[in-house]
Amino acid sequence: MHTATGWHVLCHTVSQTWRGLLSILRKLKNAPDQEVRILLLGLDNAGKTTLLKQLASEDISHITPTQGFNIKSVQSQGFKLNLWDIGGQRKIRPYWRNYFENTDVLIYVIDSADRKRFEETGQELAELLDEEKLSGVPVLIFANKQDLLTAAPATEIAEGLNLHTIRDRVWQIQSCSALSGEGVQDGMNWVCKNMNAKKK
Amino acid sequence: MKLKRFLLRYYPPGIILEYEKGGELKTKSIDLLDLSQETDICALVEEIKKTEPLITPPRTEQVKQLIQRLQEKLGQQDDHRFFLFKVLRAHILPLTNVAFNKSGSSFITGSYDRTCKIWDTASGEELHMLEGHRNVVYAIAFNNPYGDKIATGSFDKTCKLWSAETGKCFHTFRGHTAEIVCLSFNPQSTLVATGSMDNTAKLWDIQTGEEAVTLTGHSAEIISLSFNTTGDKIITGSFDHTVSLWDVQSGRRVHTLIGHRGEISSVQFNWDCSLIATGSMDKTCMLWDANNGKRLATLTGHEEEVLDVCFDYTGQFIATASADGTARVYNASSKKCIAKLEGHEGEISKICFSPQGSRILTGSADKTARIWDPYTGRCLQVLEGHLDEIFSCAFNYEGNTIITGSKDNTCRIWR
Repeated sequence: MHTATGWHVLCHTVSQTWRGLLSILRKLKNAPDQEVRILLLGLDNAGKTTLLKQLASEDISHITPTQGFNIKSVQSQGFKLNLWDIGGQRKIRPYWRNYFENTDVLIYVIDSADRKRFEETGQELAELLDEEKLSGVPVLIFANKQDLLTAAPATEIAEGLNLHTIRDRVWQIQSCSALSGEGVQDGMNWVCKNMNAKKK
Repeated sequence: MKLKRFLLRYYPPGIILEYEKGGELKTKSIDLLDLSQETDICALVEEIKKTEPLITPPRTEQVKQLIQRLQEKLGQQDDHRFFLFKVLRAHILPLTNVAFNKSGSSFITGSYDRTCKIWDTASGEELHMLEGHRNVVYAIAFNNPYGDKIATGSFDKTCKLWSAETGKCFHTFRGHTAEIVCLSFNPQSTLVATGSMDNTAKLWDIQTGEEAVTLTGHSAEIISLSFNTTGDKIITGSFDHTVSLWDVQSGRRVHTLIGHRGEISSVQFNWDCSLIATGSMDKTCMLWDANNGKRLATLTGHEEEVLDVCFDYTGQFIATASADGTARVYNASSKKCIAKLEGHEGEISKICFSPQGSRILTGSADKTARIWDPYTGRCLQVLEGHLDEIFSCAFNYEGNTIITGSKDNTCRIWR
């Protein structure tokens, strides 16, 4: 079930549009086994919303900074993935923890070309990994924007962020371009293989 | 028993009698839900005198005048057109719910930014910021008709009670083990009821700040609740597909309304406490007899989930809002659909009647709110301007001001 081929289902996803307050509550509740709650975090301008829309096969030509959050559901390998994309601007980062409850997988997105902010993004990630409500939650780090010439390779980012010191959970770094879609599926394959055991 | 004075209530039409009994000041109301411009006032007053001993012959003339005033109010033409009055950059994250106090002089907004704010309707100025919750402020309410207190229910599992005048927190109600998603004051404003994702509802004593009773029995999240007008019963709607009717005093379940085949989205009593309307993900709205819990009708027609239901103030009509982008109006006695409100380009998450009953307001994912004629189904106005989905909307009591709360972090005042 968790093979790479299974992921192709995603290419034919039924992308559900956002559905009001009530649907937030439906997604908030203890999801049935076949539903997975995925949190997308990262600094502003990391490409979280582009990634979300790429996953939902939606138009990515007009994306503005997220002032709140976006939610989309996509079907994959028999699972319903509820993806929560939360705005990353500094003033709203303290509110990330509003969304920690019942998270099955954390996806952390990094702008690989924004070297000036590697330290900042590393700090935010370290703080997330210290959060009690996210303890043990598998984390996928997308080294995004690999389409840019100035992008740092994933290995360099992994080293700079000391990812090898993460020992309390499974983790993976995946280089990708949310714009072209390259690498995105590989990352999501990892997600489906490594989501919390109770969901399998 | 000695009659002290009359109070007039416009919506729904009624006369409140203030009287003295055993040295205590009490009130009771004569509901005139069927009053129309055609009603014969003399005959009506004779009818009232037969059942109401406080209305003695010397008082007859006064009662006639009061009813005449109600009739005049009902006859007023409602051709108000709404214009955007103010955009309030209310919060730094999306809004959840909005609510007016009874007079409409102020309103409140709840937000993902963990605050609730009190606003002055006339100026659009922020009066107070209610800070203290550690997560999303989701459910909010004024203790109408008094309007001196506010309750906020949060994803932090607590409910807080605040002074509407000073913004001071009176109590923090702790006990739920999951997010609070709905709440209501009882009409006497002695209790707050909270519904939670922990499958229970709780009633809290406003004076002592203590838990009065826990309503246990649902097997899934409680998503909606509503007191009846007299305040002795409360209904809860759950994701377990059922609706429960509880006795407020004892906390005992009186009836379980079983019939929906999907999660419940919304539950409402009508004014005279005889009917219950319930909306469900099973695409229907059901009408129930509040006295025996029996189903009276299933209102069908929607092609997607029913997300919100409401009665008009007199209880003669029911409106439903659906994920299919349409709303419908049903006659409560014939159970027939009398109008289909078509035009929204996204799901409708909120619906309400104006207090006068002559207008319907809907808020939608298509970023607009719309005003409709409930009898013809004609769209009278599209309130455009929000940059993202509208989660909540409300009329003030006079029916001449509207507030809308959106995912775009703003609140807009229309008047």
